[in-house]
Amino acid sequence: MSNVRGFNLPDDLYYLVEKHVWAKPLEGGVYRVGITAVAAKLSGGKLAALTVKAKNIGQEVKQAKSLATLESSKFVGPVPAPLSGVVLRANEKLVTDPNLAISDPYGEGWVAEMQPTDWENEVGNLAFGAEGIAAYQAKLEAENITCS
Amino acid sequence: MADDKVMIIMTSGPDTPRRCATPFFFASLAAAMEYEVTMFFTIDGTLLLKKGMAETIFPKEGGKPVSAFIQDALDAGVEFLACTASTELHDMQPSDLLEGVKMVGGASMWQIAEDCKTVLTF
Repeated sequence: MSNVRGFNLPDDLYYLVEKHVWAKPLEGGVYRVGITAVAAKLSGGKLAALTVKAKNIGQEVKQAKSLATLESSKFVGPVPAPLSGVVLRANEKLVTDPNLAISDPYGEGWVAEMQPTDWENEVGNLAFGAEGIAAYQAKLEAENITCS
Repeated sequence: MADDKVMIIMTSGPDTPRRCATPFFFASLAAAMEYEVTMFFTIDGTLLLKKGMAETIFPKEGGKPVSAFIQDALDAGVEFLACTASTELHDMQPSDLLEGVKMVGGASMWQIAEDCKTVLTF
């Protein structure tokens, strides 16, 4: 886990930096995806809802396209998919407690699980490891985003 | 019928501030869900598109002005259409409208509605 400008950013995740979302490999080629601590901060810190579009389950969502929506008093917008893939399931815990995505964005607050459809071509777009964290840090510095 | 198009018809205006945030919020949300979203403004809704007007309307005391909700919707890619007849009702000129708002006749509303899966009216 790295701490960048006050944000926790685990080293073992693939980040789509410009969209503030992550992907983590599970068994069987499945990836779990979610929002980063940065997205949690930018959304205002308290969510009214985080909803995976029901029609997306079983369908392919392309990288950077809307996988889910996030609603708070400060912000309404998409949760983009970090990779192209078929949506296998949504995290049902978020239905009753969307703020898990704020309090535990890399754990209990994951958004969905996906089966990648173009991983080999897309992995190059994702930030990973120490180099990836450095890229994320550069973006946060360029946009002057901090946790405080 | 495309299943990715929705329309919100906005008739509420400055006289009912509390009715002037949610329609824009719903529009932004639909855009975030990858729907193609049109907001059609008529009756008093058109007044919200008058330059400088929405900044003065607060749905909640101490909260964001309507202009912030409008900007969120525009940023999300929502298309704004103003009913020509309603601009005449309020003696508004095309130059009175916010940048990017198109003026269309009532028949356009029917054609868009026919092509939309869902139409909401506020």
